[in-house]
Amino acid sequence: MDFTLTDEQQMVRDTARALLQKECPPALVRAHADDPAAAAPLWGHLREWVVLGDGPTTDLALFAEECGAVVAPGPYFATAALFLPVLRAAGLTEEADAVAAGEATGTVALAGADGRWCTDPVTADPVRTFVPEADGVDRVALVLPGPELLVVDRAQLDITPVATLDTSRRVATLPVPPGARGVSLPAEALAAAIERATVVLAAELVGTARWLVEASVAYGRERIQFDRPIGSFQAVQHQLVDMALDLERATAAVYYAAMALDAGDPDRHRAAAVAKAAAGTAARHAAKSGMQIHAGIGYTWEHDLHLYLRRAYASDDLLGDVTFHHDRLADLLLG
Amino acid sequence: MRLTFDAADEAFRADLRAFLDEHCPPEARRGKDFVAADEEGVPDWARAWQATLFDHGWMVPSFPPELGGRNCTPLQTLLYLEELAAQGVVRSVHFGGYAIVGPSLLEFGNEAQRALAAPSIRGDIVWCVGMSEPDAGSDLANLSTRAVADGETFVVNGQKVWTSYAPFADKCFCYVRTGTDPEAPKHKGISVLIIDMDTPGIEVRPLRHITGAVEFAEVFFSDVVVPADRLVGELDNGWRITMGSLAHERGGLWVEGVAGSQRALDGLVALARRKGLDADPTVRRQLAAAYEKVASLRALGYKGFASFAQGSSAPEHSYMKLATSELRKELFDLGLDLLGPYGSVTAPELAEEGGRWWNGFFISLAATIGGGTSEIQRNTVATRVLGLPRG
Ligand SMILES: Cc1cc2nc3c(=O)[nH]c(=O)nc-3n(C[C@H](O)[C@H](O)[C@H](O)COP(=O)(O)OP(=O)(O)OC[C@H]3O[C@@H](n4cnc5c(N)ncnc54)[C@H](O)[C@@H]3O)c2cc1C
Repeated sequence: MDFTLTDEQQMVRDTARALLQKECPPALVRAHADDPAAAAPLWGHLREWVVLGDGPTTDLALFAEECGAVVAPGPYFATAALFLPVLRAAGLTEEADAVAAGEATGTVALAGADGRWCTDPVTADPVRTFVPEADGVDRVALVLPGPELLVVDRAQLDITPVATLDTSRRVATLPVPPGARGVSLPAEALAAAIERATVVLAAELVGTARWLVEASVAYGRERIQFDRPIGSFQAVQHQLVDMALDLERATAAVYYAAMALDAGDPDRHRAAAVAKAAAGTAARHAAKSGMQIHAGIGYTWEHDLHLYLRRAYASDDLLGDVTFHHDRLADLLLG
Repeated sequence: MRLTFDAADEAFRADLRAFLDEHCPPEARRGKDFVAADEEGVPDWARAWQATLFDHGWMVPSFPPELGGRNCTPLQTLLYLEELAAQGVVRSVHFGGYAIVGPSLLEFGNEAQRALAAPSIRGDIVWCVGMSEPDAGSDLANLSTRAVADGETFVVNGQKVWTSYAPFADKCFCYVRTGTDPEAPKHKGISVLIIDMDTPGIEVRPLRHITGAVEFAEVFFSDVVVPADRLVGELDNGWRITMGSLAHERGGLWVEGVAGSQRALDGLVALARRKGLDADPTVRRQLAAAYEKVASLRALGYKGFASFAQGSSAPEHSYMKLATSELRKELFDLGLDLLGPYGSVTAPELAEEGGRWWNGFFISLAATIGGGTSEIQRNTVATRVLGLPRG
């Protein structure tokens, strides 16, 4: 196992970091919360990177990590990590090629009434929930029992946005059109696409957790109380170390899972569950302790901390939270 | 990032496996959590096994052959440690000599002292390392065992405590205070002496571990005369030697921590099945959460190793001792839980797996104390890795 980034991976990371830091400032994230159209200029920059959805998981994960570090709003994750791979899984090459070229946005509707992204079996519920960005994308891919895939224009569906803690990622509920049928979608390919999206979302969460840890360490150095930086108090130091440790192990777990998926390694299913559970744990931990360390100022609407807290909790829930992935791991370990 | 090893490294691993198949005695094939409570001294099989490893270049494989190695690469050292850990093979029952003293002598010793390195790594000389004292635990620089230079000799007076292997060691790698300036900072004025344990004036009073095992001791020095040429490195400059552990392996020491956790986890899974608890939803989640930690820490160790192998320091590894020692404590604690009312039973005929769980739990309690407590590890990460101001 070699975690050294190749030159190309390093370039993906550097480019993503520079681009997102510049094009996705907190002001844009806040403006998007009031009016989703505010994220349109960001999409203009991200569309050319949708093609990463066709490449190795490692590259897409590195890109997603930087999206998480700025809590990027908009259809990038839904399009590159969910829609494009699911189109490929169903063999819808023509549409997939157009999406990869950044010409259209899309999302995937899979979870039923219970909100769980379960691929085996695909739910027969007449409703799809937690569909990312459904009210803003061009196309929606409905996963139906079979499994089958039906791809339709957003306007053909009766989409209801659902408010969540997280104003940086929109989700919606939509009814499955009665009698809907789609093209056949190989179950294994579907499961692989969702597993991959799970690891990419874990990478996003790692980026979000990274911001929380870095901001809290920086605040520890600069905030003075009792004539000393609060980061010199051991009670604060030890909280920061424990947050950083959870972040470090989650980061490693995500990169490992991405490599395992790319290599088709037999360990990949466990690795994916470990990655999402570890990333959810790290992000929630960093959000809670980060709030404690920032204290009063962190509790204000003006401070950016709550944008990250919100994203951390909602992204943990999406595609399976810590408990969901522990249950999955238990199934893999114990049968 | 890539997942696989190349052919040369796989060949290295295959050679090691063949060697172990042929030479490794059954006594050496056991997890560290299985050390029996009544064991005293270095058993014959352990002496023979360590010498065999050395003679075949498998004791510290990154060293040259004359020091028990085969000049292997850092990555191969990692493979080596991983393979030993996976098979539960112990190299030695006393790590002071090959891991601390031998490498320190090579780095800081004079010619005669460097000549002691090979027999120390081979285990022909058994060492204890005398650092801690009653008033110098975490605050090692507070040590007060005094050595007074007297022309051709030093005269040593004072006390060490919790000194591992002292009950049966041949020599002590002993940290003493030689400085005489009361105004100097505490860590200045410390020196290292090589002291033969049979020198008159040394009294060793063995201390039992809470497991019942006799492994460490109090060591008293009363007018112990040590020849001046036993000084290692410069007078009053011994503090820098405290860091002299096995640099070549530093990037791989976490492997044992992870492997120990993996063994405990495998044991927990087997235990849950035997007790019919593998369908209990709470237990399933506890085991899955434990697996998540073991797997993510293994990945973290490898991630750090990538920088280490390229010669830069790896901040990841600063977390590993803290994380793996705390994790093992959690795992054995869970084991005692799964045993229900029998968790606390030590009667040999009733204790599960020969007392593995209570014994392993007790041993795991030492891992967050020895070699720097978890609190000290967190202090170090806070200031050195996260760059926070000192308290
Ligand atoms: C099995 C075993 C084997 C050992 N073998 C050896 C050996 O071979 N040679 C040797 O020299 N020593 C050995 N030791 C001793 C070991 O190194 C010390 O126990 C250890 O360094 C802690 O010192 P202490 O026990 O005096 O605890 P103390 O330093 O008194 O600490 C007591 C408590 O206070 C906390 N504390 C202390 N300072 C701080 C701080 N600055 N910030 C926050 N918390 C703090 C500690 O974390 C701990 O919880 C061994 C110990 C064990 C358990």
